[in-house]
Amino acid sequence: MGYFELHARSAFSFLRGGSSPEDIAKATSASRLPGIALCDRNGVYGAVRMHVAGKENGFRALVGCELVMEDDTVVPVLIATQAGYHRHCEMLTTAHLRAPKGEARIRWSELAAENAGFYALTGDEEGPLRIAWRQRGERAAHEAGDRLASIFGPDRLFVELQRHLLPGEEIENDFLIEWARSKGLPLLATNGVTQATPQARNVADVFTCVREHTTLDKAGRKLARNAERYVKTPEAMAALFADLPEAIENTERLAGLLEFKLSDLGYRFPDYDRVPAGETQDEYLRRMTIFGAQQRYGSVTGKVKRQLDRELALIEKLGFSGYFLIVWDLCVFARDQGIMVQGRGSAANSAVCYSLGITAVDPIGSKLLFERFLSEGRSDWPDIDLDLPSGEGRERVIQEVYNRYGRRGSAMTANVITLRSKSTMREVGKAFGMPDDVLDRFSNLFHGGDYPQTIELREQLQAAGIAENDVRMDLLLDTCRQVQGLPRHLGQHSGGMVLSSGQLSRFVPLENASMPGRTVLQWDKSDCEDMGIIKIDLLGLGMVAVLEEASQICAQRGDPIDYARIPKDDPEVFRLMQEADTVGCFQIESRAQMATLPRMKPATFYDVAIQVAIIRPGPIQGDAVNPYLERRAGRAPVVYPDERARPILERTLGVVLFQEQILRLAMELGGFTAAEADDLRRAIGFTRSTDRLNRMKEKLRVALRGNNVTEEATDYIIKSLSSFALYGFPESHAISFALIAYASAWLKVRKPAAFYAALINNQPMGFYSVASLIQDGKRRGIRFLPPSVVHSDEKSRLDAEDTVRLGLKTVQGVRAKVVQGALEARRRGPFESLADFLRRTEFSAKERRALATAGALNGLAEHRREALWRVESMELDDDLFRSAPATEDAELSPLEAMSHLERLRADYTTLGFTVGAHPMKLARPSLPDAWPASSLKHGKPGTRVQIAGSVSCRQRPGTAKGFVFITLEDETGTANAIVRPQLFERERLIINMEPALVIVGRLQNEQGVVHVMAEEIERLPAVGMPEQRSHDYH
Amino acid sequence: MNYAVLLVPSFVLQALRRADASLAGKPIALAQGEGRKACIAEVSPEATAIEPGLAVTLAMARCPGLVILPADPAAEAEASRLLLASAFTLSPRVEKTADGCYTVDLSGADERRTEEQMQACVVELSAAGLNVRAGAAPTPLLALYAAHRAEPVLVVRNPKAFLESLPLALAEPLPNHATILHGWGVTTLGGLTALPKAEIANRLGTAGVELWERAAGETTRVLRLVEPSKTFVAEWAYDPPVESMEPLLFRLRRFAECVALELRGAGVVAERLGLTLHLEDDASYQREFRLPEPSADVDGWLRVLQGHLETVRTSARVVGVRLVASPARPLEKQDGLFETGLRDPAMFWENLARLGAIVGDDRVGTPVLRDTWKPDSVALEKPPGTVPIPEPDPVHPPRGLTLRRFRPPWPVRVELDAGRPFTIEGATLRDTVRSTQGPFRMNGEWWRPGDAWSIEVWRVQTESGAIYQLARDHQQWCVEGVLD
Repeated sequence: MGYFELHARSAFSFLRGGSSPEDIAKATSASRLPGIALCDRNGVYGAVRMHVAGKENGFRALVGCELVMEDDTVVPVLIATQAGYHRHCEMLTTAHLRAPKGEARIRWSELAAENAGFYALTGDEEGPLRIAWRQRGERAAHEAGDRLASIFGPDRLFVELQRHLLPGEEIENDFLIEWARSKGLPLLATNGVTQATPQARNVADVFTCVREHTTLDKAGRKLARNAERYVKTPEAMAALFADLPEAIENTERLAGLLEFKLSDLGYRFPDYDRVPAGETQDEYLRRMTIFGAQQRYGSVTGKVKRQLDRELALIEKLGFSGYFLIVWDLCVFARDQGIMVQGRGSAANSAVCYSLGITAVDPIGSKLLFERFLSEGRSDWPDIDLDLPSGEGRERVIQEVYNRYGRRGSAMTANVITLRSKSTMREVGKAFGMPDDVLDRFSNLFHGGDYPQTIELREQLQAAGIAENDVRMDLLLDTCRQVQGLPRHLGQHSGGMVLSSGQLSRFVPLENASMPGRTVLQWDKSDCEDMGIIKIDLLGLGMVAVLEEASQICAQRGDPIDYARIPKDDPEVFRLMQEADTVGCFQIESRAQMATLPRMKPATFYDVAIQVAIIRPGPIQGDAVNPYLERRAGRAPVVYPDERARPILERTLGVVLFQEQILRLAMELGGFTAAEADDLRRAIGFTRSTDRLNRMKEKLRVALRGNNVTEEATDYIIKSLSSFALYGFPESHAISFALIAYASAWLKVRKPAAFYAALINNQPMGFYSVASLIQDGKRRGIRFLPPSVVHSDEKSRLDAEDTVRLGLKTVQGVRAKVVQGALEARRRGPFESLADFLRRTEFSAKERRALATAGALNGLAEHRREALWRVESMELDDDLFRSAPATEDAELSPLEAMSHLERLRADYTTLGFTVGAHPMKLARPSLPDAWPASSLKHGKPGTRVQIAGSVSCRQRPGTAKGFVFITLEDETGTANAIVRPQLFERERLIINMEPALVIVGRLQNEQGVVHVMAEEIERLPAVGMPEQRSHDYH
Repeated sequence: MNYAVLLVPSFVLQALRRADASLAGKPIALAQGEGRKACIAEVSPEATAIEPGLAVTLAMARCPGLVILPADPAAEAEASRLLLASAFTLSPRVEKTADGCYTVDLSGADERRTEEQMQACVVELSAAGLNVRAGAAPTPLLALYAAHRAEPVLVVRNPKAFLESLPLALAEPLPNHATILHGWGVTTLGGLTALPKAEIANRLGTAGVELWERAAGETTRVLRLVEPSKTFVAEWAYDPPVESMEPLLFRLRRFAECVALELRGAGVVAERLGLTLHLEDDASYQREFRLPEPSADVDGWLRVLQGHLETVRTSARVVGVRLVASPARPLEKQDGLFETGLRDPAMFWENLARLGAIVGDDRVGTPVLRDTWKPDSVALEKPPGTVPIPEPDPVHPPRGLTLRRFRPPWPVRVELDAGRPFTIEGATLRDTVRSTQGPFRMNGEWWRPGDAWSIEVWRVQTESGAIYQLARDHQQWCVEGVLD
């Protein structure tokens, strides 16, 4: 007897299911069920994962959903046909888009109108029938049942029976059976699955507590009565319904009627609809490509022509011409709007993309592998990612996509927010009734991110205040382990947009994103990829915005920048990189990058691409960094794992640094076809589980052995492959990023004032606070003038080649709209006095105070205190006085001017930085033993030194085996300290919490890279130093 | 020097430390706010490098042995009583100005002896575990300032010079005024009074002027005097000791009449009575009674006392008795529209007291079902003052047969056939099972090791026709009840 489980919920019902779709799939296989219907609440969030798992494990993944109705009852539906699926998605989209997030409700009238292609169940204890029976008796239950029967008819409504071994449930089942027989409706057994296994009941109970905002101790009868709602075997279900065999048989019958499977989605990418009359998309793409190539290359001959012909032929053959034209047209739109745009990722391997202006890297000149982007064997669409300025420019492009394809024709891909270590402990800990102070302490001790901890979770909890012998400890740990990684809610991907011909909402339900004006679909990028849904990434990069703005600033001074024409071999730019003077530069400003730059000593543009790629978890874990640097410095010979690998690895001195190299090694040495190489690429990029990658590794290992690759070389290639799963760059991507990195470094060298002004205007971004950027700029000879209502604009600008006038937006807590009003007033006539300024502007009392404290009113008052005294006058708030003509300011204030330290504090309070001396300069006299950061490079290695300063960065990379890196900033620069795991565990709170530190340790200087190996760490005693924002654990 | 102030700095912390000897010498702090906003409100001097306002987590980082404590109103009340008693030694006119702060009107007191008396207070209180500062000055406000600056006693004779360097916070500016004045660089009372009062009025309004006047020490006020706290106690020693209840009840009636009179005179009533019997063998028997409602009704008190004493058997003869009445304001309450009052609350509580004396207080109450799926899980709740109207039974869902539970359940041996109960054998039941329904499985409280439970339940009809509910818990079978 076949039994299909036709009512299961996963954790994608968000706090109403205790297991992931993958775990339910595993349990389905283990229970030898022929199929299962995932019916998550108001969505198909987990359907793709179940579909993929079904394909891999040989069971049928049926598509269903629990619809939450307007009266809060829940009707499970099962999808039978493609048209039914499309209707289902449309109905859910309508419900989601009209309701706040998480509160979608389906109207009964909608279900009555749009149910063709569905089958319905009467539901479990939340179903309309059982709720009515429990709350209002048989008559009400008959009415509720009749409504369902009238909507679905006797052929498409099944009366759902569940047996969870609970006393009293048979009374309810008896009623359902009697009602079904009186109406001639079929019975259907389900187990109403909410978890994969009985053990996962704990998770379901914890989620109930999170949902109900209570604890396990207080939840009482809100919790499950037992753990029976797991995936049971057909035999177990048959035994439970031995007296009702038709309820089991009907599951097989109904499953047979459910013809729809997700592979029949029917999705199609839209055509490009602006092709001139008489031309096909293919022809138009060819025409525009050749035209672009002539612009890029001068003439289209020889190698270039052959490459373009090859690419265009393949694009035509695969039917992707419309896709390229759509992306090209978006780039044209952006440029027309003055928005910088540059393609990145594997698209940079394409000469067509380069010719169309989508990317800025010449793949022919750079010898990039086109197959990494597109190949005949590829089953999915290629990704074209566009980098746009973060903020308003990018939003304009996104909104343009919505305009062109409609609110239901385009949406952002989802980003599934999962429970990670910190959030897991918070949620589970709350459910266990752990006190808030313990949870807070845990959060502070074990900072954000899932970096590997050097102590076990048990010890972490003890450190947070849970007694070692707490009787609940084991259960808490076990529950945390089960909960970690489960979905918590749906966010939106940073830039992935999906388009469709016709309504996208027919293929996947759309919801409102939390950000106004955005819609998000219920699948993430891997789901979309699995379903063949194409995504265009419109990514916001702060540095693109900086480059764009710096160009505008320079243009205002009559010196515009054309980044396409800046020299790629400027020795001063490379000197800056070699000296690791890269604060503010894209991708090469992190502590780890700075620690490598003096060893790498980039001297060419390609070196920059390697520099960008080499400090990634992939190469670091793959032990590629040191061998490459040693070979580059001539201290180690260049060797190849196999002589056949020489052409592939020559540019990287025999070391695997890029993803393309892995693919080419697989093809050249392992004999992989293009399609197999593409499968390998997808396995590397699949982050949810390692199963795919492990299978591919095994396949590659066999293939390499079969091609007489030595065991040693095979191991090396497999190890490199494993490390790339930890995130490594494709070469094309590294080159695209290197373009931006080089441009930002060039800007810092050649147009430093514009560089800092644009960086400050685009905060927050990058690794460094404005305070650090200003100190860095001052060390390069740039003058920074404070914000002033008399002189400043809203944004920072240049007053001279070496002088930045900070904008009024740097004053915290001052509304942009009021600032703009004040500037408009100033344009009509300069402010003649403080009274005149106050009379003609709309700043609130708090804003006036902030401006005065920051010194922004100094042009209208003798000093900050005088301004503070005068802005408090109550006459200012009196309409009578405000409308009176401006008079001379009253007599001077009786207050004394601020001292140096007071001004410093006022700067940090209102601006977050100072244009004056670094606070450490003031603290220096009280720290006679502390070495200035700039002097460390002159110290003898091994010397015991003391460094002190404000913490600008704390890092604990997953690749660093528990070591922590701290960057301290003082008035002379930055000093880096390395903290061993044991010391970190001992001083964890001090390190994580204190804004300024004193570190004593031994000096290390390796090839110009200076570190202090910390031995003692303590807080910097209060010397009036203001706090500064730090960049931690990113 | 017309006023004195006794001030306990960090009063809450001092009260906590005084109530718990184990805190001696340890760095302790009081936290305020919850979750991430929790910060230090008060901190003891042992906790170096920590100041109020610091985040709790950071404070713990800086001072690893720091003990964070919640406030303890009982400890504070005890400390207050001590402080108040001490203040009354200076003058009968005392005001409770704030927790841990009493202002004393010294009018008529011998000025030459006041400073000496203040010193004596400080020493006496220090011996009792409270570190106090005492200040004296011509106005209550100045005396308060003086107490804040005292080490430990300060008498202000030149107010103007005294005020000049005092921190502004002493004058308690409004938070927004504090921000403005901080911005102006005004940190002392002298700094504020150096600014023209009219300009302050223009900028900070009436509250600013009041602040300015407080800073200038110009404010004075009338004290809101407190009465000394009265304890209503009566004691009697028996000689010879008594063996029967009559003399005890007689004496208790006299006590009751006297204490009730005192209570009424003070405009209060008793909410609790404390009874102590001192016994010949040096033991004592103590008992406290909560009255059905606060009253000064002698007969009502005696009914409670007598009802209890009738059940008491002492180990020796009674040599002394002590009755303490805890005063409270008379209760004024209006019954709820839908509440049913007890017909005779006094009798109700009297009976409860009797029951409590027999079975123990923790075993008296109203059984209520716990909010859990665990069958027959019951807790006792203290009876309410009113009897709520019972809710009607739900009409739906139908309940089927009613289970009459056996208390305690009958332990039985059960023989299984194909996993189902077949025969039942126990002290009161021996039968063969004709049909079964089940098993039903319930489990819960998995998160509480030791309390986690898992029960398998069967409903069986025996050959005799009766339907029983069987339960198996940890392989132990029992008959939970009969269904009929």
